[in-house]
Amino acid sequence: MSTNNDRQNALAPDDVGDNAIEAKETEGLSQGKIVFRKFLRHKGAMISIGVFAFVALFAFSSVGFGPIPGWWIYNHTSSGQILNPGGAPTWSFSNFFSLGDHPFGQDDIGRDNFARVMKGTQISIIVMVIIGLVCLVIGTIVGALAGYYRGWIDSLLMRITDGFIILPVIVIGSILGKLVGGANGPLLGLALGAILWTGLARLVRGDFMSLREREFVDSARVAGASDFRIMFKHMLPNAMGVIIVNTTLVMSQAIVLEAALSYLGFGISPPGISLGQLISEYQTSFATRPWLFWWPGLFIIVIALCVNFIGDGLRDAFDPRMKTIPSWRKMKKAERMTQNKVANTTQKEEAK
Amino acid sequence: MSDSTSTAKSPVLDVKDLGVNFWVNDEWWMAAEELNYTVNAGEVLAIVGESGSGKSQSSMSLLGLLPSNGRATGSAKMGGTELIGMPPEKMQQIRGNEISVIFQEPMTALNPVYTAGFQIVETLRVHLDVGPTEAKERALELMRLVEIPDPEERFHSFPHQLSGGQRQRIMIAQALACQPKLLIADEPTTALDVTVQAEILKLMRELKSKLDAGIILITHDMGVVADMADRMIVMKAGRVVESGNAEEIFYNPQHPYTKQLLEAVPHLGTGIEGEAFGAELSDIEDSAVIHESDAAHGTAEDTADAAGSSSDQAAHPPSATLSPFVTEGGADRVSGLAEAAEAAGQPMRGDDIEMDSTETYYHPGSQADFSQPSALQLRDAAIEYPAIGRKKAFRAAHHINLMVAPGEVVGLVGESGSGKTTIGRAALGLLPTVEGDMVINGTSIKGLSNKQLRPLRKEVGIVFQDPGSSLNPRLPVGESIGEPLYLHEGMKGPALSKSVEELLTAVELPTSMRNRYPHELSGGQRQRIGIARALTLRPKLLIADEPTSALDVSVQAKVLDLFEGLQQEYGFACLFISHDLAVIERIASRIAVMRHGFLVEIGKSSQVVANPVHPYTQRLLSAVPVPDPREQRKRREARDAVLEATANA
Amino acid sequence: MTRFILRRLLSTALVLLVVTFVLYLLLNVALDFFWDLRSSTSPNIEALYESRRRLLDLDTPAIVRYFKWLAGVGGCVVGQCDFGIAWKSGQEVTSQLQGAIANTVKLITASTIVAIVLGIAVGMVSAIRQYSGFDYFITFVSFLLYSLPVFWVAVLLKQYGAIEINNFINDPTLSSWVPIILVCVALGLFWMGALGGGRKRRLITFLAATVITFVTIYYILASGWLQAPSIGIVGVVVIGLGAAVVMTFLSTGLKNKRVLYATLAMAVIGALLYMPLQYLFYYQEMNWLWMFGLLIVTIGVAVGVGLAFRGPDPWDTVRTTFFTGLIVAVLIFADRVLQGWGDYSNQPAINNRPIATIGASTPNLEGDFWIANLDTFTHLLLPSIALILISFASYTRYTRGSMLEVMGQDYIRTARAKGLNERTVVMRHALRNALLPLASIIPVDIITMIGGAVITETIFGWNGMGKLFIDSMRQSELDPIMAYILITGLLAIIANLVADFLYAVLDPRIRVNA
Repeated sequence: MSTNNDRQNALAPDDVGDNAIEAKETEGLSQGKIVFRKFLRHKGAMISIGVFAFVALFAFSSVGFGPIPGWWIYNHTSSGQILNPGGAPTWSFSNFFSLGDHPFGQDDIGRDNFARVMKGTQISIIVMVIIGLVCLVIGTIVGALAGYYRGWIDSLLMRITDGFIILPVIVIGSILGKLVGGANGPLLGLALGAILWTGLARLVRGDFMSLREREFVDSARVAGASDFRIMFKHMLPNAMGVIIVNTTLVMSQAIVLEAALSYLGFGISPPGISLGQLISEYQTSFATRPWLFWWPGLFIIVIALCVNFIGDGLRDAFDPRMKTIPSWRKMKKAERMTQNKVANTTQKEEAK
Repeated sequence: MSDSTSTAKSPVLDVKDLGVNFWVNDEWWMAAEELNYTVNAGEVLAIVGESGSGKSQSSMSLLGLLPSNGRATGSAKMGGTELIGMPPEKMQQIRGNEISVIFQEPMTALNPVYTAGFQIVETLRVHLDVGPTEAKERALELMRLVEIPDPEERFHSFPHQLSGGQRQRIMIAQALACQPKLLIADEPTTALDVTVQAEILKLMRELKSKLDAGIILITHDMGVVADMADRMIVMKAGRVVESGNAEEIFYNPQHPYTKQLLEAVPHLGTGIEGEAFGAELSDIEDSAVIHESDAAHGTAEDTADAAGSSSDQAAHPPSATLSPFVTEGGADRVSGLAEAAEAAGQPMRGDDIEMDSTETYYHPGSQADFSQPSALQLRDAAIEYPAIGRKKAFRAAHHINLMVAPGEVVGLVGESGSGKTTIGRAALGLLPTVEGDMVINGTSIKGLSNKQLRPLRKEVGIVFQDPGSSLNPRLPVGESIGEPLYLHEGMKGPALSKSVEELLTAVELPTSMRNRYPHELSGGQRQRIGIARALTLRPKLLIADEPTSALDVSVQAKVLDLFEGLQQEYGFACLFISHDLAVIERIASRIAVMRHGFLVEIGKSSQVVANPVHPYTQRLLSAVPVPDPREQRKRREARDAVLEATANA
Repeated sequence: MTRFILRRLLSTALVLLVVTFVLYLLLNVALDFFWDLRSSTSPNIEALYESRRRLLDLDTPAIVRYFKWLAGVGGCVVGQCDFGIAWKSGQEVTSQLQGAIANTVKLITASTIVAIVLGIAVGMVSAIRQYSGFDYFITFVSFLLYSLPVFWVAVLLKQYGAIEINNFINDPTLSSWVPIILVCVALGLFWMGALGGGRKRRLITFLAATVITFVTIYYILASGWLQAPSIGIVGVVVIGLGAAVVMTFLSTGLKNKRVLYATLAMAVIGALLYMPLQYLFYYQEMNWLWMFGLLIVTIGVAVGVGLAFRGPDPWDTVRTTFFTGLIVAVLIFADRVLQGWGDYSNQPAINNRPIATIGASTPNLEGDFWIANLDTFTHLLLPSIALILISFASYTRYTRGSMLEVMGQDYIRTARAKGLNERTVVMRHALRNALLPLASIIPVDIITMIGGAVITETIFGWNGMGKLFIDSMRQSELDPIMAYILITGLLAIIANLVADFLYAVLDPRIRVNA
């Protein structure tokens, strides 16, 4: 033990760190932990994760998922008696605050809007996650192969992405949606995932291309590692930042896309249900029953906004260049604090 | 801290108790404090220190150019005006006008979308009331002053169309535009090749005498300091450890850190002197004195001969290390080197070799003999970067004949783009050998696939330049070191741990470090890990690609010591690639010089250093500044002569 | 450079060809060509099926039909386009396309230009004020805009941007001042954040912006401006002079008096020409050719004024007067268009509901050039806002990111070390470099916008390509869909070309071969 200490002391001049800022921040941590810590500091992302978790939990627990029943008394298909005129929301401030039977209101045939919105949220989240997963898998594999091997596989990838890029996603999405859509959410997710992966693949390819030039890849090869090992053991962990961040951003794009397609009638259509489909179904009743329009829209926005902020937080956390630069205001505060301290100490000294 | 030399000139800048702090993680982090110095007109003050010593930040604080989380305290007065805490509007009138800066990276310090001329004109027109035509005239004048060839044409060139040296000249012209009273040169030559550095240093010296400005030279290179500085400040971890007259500090350093720093700097010409030369500072002083008088009467041919004969002597250990005779001989040889270079234009042995000659000059005994057993053989080899997509294949090395005997260390030296790294990578099978043959330990690796190469990988190790980039940031270093063992010998579990620990001990690191990640280690520690990893399988050949150039000098010295020790212990052959002749000279028994993809000269270290034949080698050698002001003064004249003689090559 | 562009062009054209092929086959599976017959109880149902099969040539394999379609399209090269027919309505696709392409291009161009200008400006300020309240606000807003479904916004716009405003115009009674005061304070905070500065300056900015906003809104409401909006000569003079000062500040800084005088002169010339132009507009029937001619004259005058004032840097002066001149010209044009407001609103086809929610133009509208233009603008308003909201966010984010990256570069430090003021550092050294990566975003964004247009056009009944696509998808009409795909692809290729060209103009490293 003592010998170790001696050695470390002997090395002390080495430790006149290259960048003390960095050295200070990273002591005793793996890369992943640093990222995680930075992520935790991102307020927007933290709030978003909380909100998103809450929404997801609510959506899945309230109306139940698959055979599991939920705690909400109504479901999204059965119609009931219309309580308020027009099916307006029943919550009120009489008696401090009461939800009533149908807090989000009812539609024209008396179905409970809360149950419908929750079910729609559920499906929309499932579609979003499926799209994200499909993109993650295809995009990572294709991008990694193209970036690592370059050559024809790379040209092929670039041509395919070109093909997807010259047309708006919504156009290809409509065609695929028409092909596989209807009431089946997961299938639609798979189909949309199959067109949204190209952006991620491009980015992973770029990352792999630059990682490929890094010396640790050469040194792994010199050590005798196979291509497969180099790609997945050495390069992939280093590309995780790009992959995670962009998968998140694809997901935020995905939920809006699914809603738009369902709205146009090429995504999920009745009896299937999703947030976009709800808006589509109720858009004409905006003037008469605005709650039917507001609620599903609000949930789309909240989910997409949360995912966007989470993505932003992840990007900041993974970005090595992002040194947390204090804001102008923080600096002023710091200045004042130290000035006070200096003033205090000088006062004390004078007093002495 | 007071100056022993009292110059008659008035101080341009008077810095008192200057401190720089950064607000990091909710507390002030000290980058520099208690700085006191003055800069006089017409004088060069060098601020020396290793990375993280705060030398650069403290100077930037003078201009209010600190990053947004930085803060400067104390006082810096320029002719009665306080610079610290000056409002930005006022500071704008000082910047570029009274104080100007030359930055380190000429590649990135000029705006890529504007022409060189425009950027100079811009500076002129901000501060002086001149019209565009007049400003252009002035800019052209400045460009002539900094010796840019074809100024009228270069005026309209964009930065990407200029070479590194030309860009740095534009930077200088821009800095001089308003005839500033103070010039801050922040590592002005660090990013440049050594011959370009020599040209820039020469230019700066000339300008210094022409202009009456005070210069703050920030650098880590003791050679540059010896070449330029009148006075110097040595900084360590934000504090001044020593300050005063440059020569005094060089010859009589007081602070242990300064001593350590000066000792750590490899000194070109040490190898041919044997142990005696440069071991004690007094030796250098003595020898330099004799050296001066000696050079006064010695003719070029005499000294060249003397150098030749004495280099033979160097093979035998000097009998009496400190006897005046030997030191005199040593001085002779150094001046011989300088004189020989100076005389490059005159009839000499190397005279018949043109600068652009691509033939290899073999010093006696260095002819490649491929019948001998060897660790590495390149037989008339040509190496290409393969074509990618539409990018054409690029041939980076032509007709290379090179041999490394088992257990021998061969240095490969050259400037950027010379193809030295290419050879190293090809020896590892990372680049294809397209012509000739590449033989590793008796097996040709030409045309082998990655799979076929795998068993051969055990025989060759590599240490890369950038220790930060050569270790996988996501793997603990122990895993990186152990990977070759796992892959080649299937070693796992406790056996692997034991081997890893042994290796860590061998490179003088605590075994507890195996679970650390690369970013938690300092540069020197990382490079030790890099060496450990390269030696895991006890290779017969090691390729060391600039293993120390990213390190600070004191760290570099330690890593080189370690490397030498390990080489003796393990007995591997090594191809040591570097741009730094002094390092190569220290470590290698033979030196090969590369230029534009051709091997131009090869010979024993003493032969090449003392008696270079190819004009390019001469130019390269003369361009290296040595960390010794008096010797460097001598060399400077030789250098300027050689630069002139071999200009625009 | 030319070779590079040609090669890019060729490869994208090939890709487009492959895309049409694949989508043709896919559509053949996806579309149900007999959807209207499925529920038919007609006795001769078999015959109907048979005739449909013959009409659409369904017995031929899809691959062969694709090449037949391609041959028809290839006829465009010799001037004989055959895009096929929309079988449900029996219309020729070429005739369907005619108005649609123009309408879509109109919509997208207007939205793109506004989104780019606003997005770059806001993104730039947001980057300069990094980590300030303003920056956080803009970040939040842009994420919010990213997350907004277009169709949802469009429905809201219809309700609040058109129906309610039209109601208000007809019955301008205000129920409460609270929202207006909130708007004033919000704008005050916005400008305070954007302009920044010390505590005192921020306070002044806040108060000034709040008061100015309030006075403007009060004036608009009190004077009945909404019922008869106009700019008038006073408006032209005031806004023109303001534009002159702002342009000078952005371009060369207000210290350059000569440029300031030149731009002010430009604004004055505009004011002097105001009356003569009114006579011209009155006695001469206008058209776009005239407008174009007047634009040329404006540019000529601006360049002339710039050169007359010259100064040490004539081109800086000319650049500034040029932009000022353009602004003044647009002002005069807008003034004349607004003069038709009363006539326009009172027309029976409009019925005092000037802000349109449906279509690209009012049918059966009577009026001259100015009225027609006004009609186009009122129709363009809402769909463009919907489109702008989406792209504005992405331009803001990109500009901010790229600006932050550039501001950290060494050459920015060099520029500061030279003693340039902050305006010059930002406008001259940072902005130009920050715009480079943006050039490659523009085509991607235009394609996204074409996608957005699919939705907006459908909702606002704007007879463009997007609506054509959706209608045809619903009707299972293969030929118009293919025409849409082809033309959108071509638009995308053109957008890419323009971006390459822009890139080359901005970046000397590409323009000048080293």
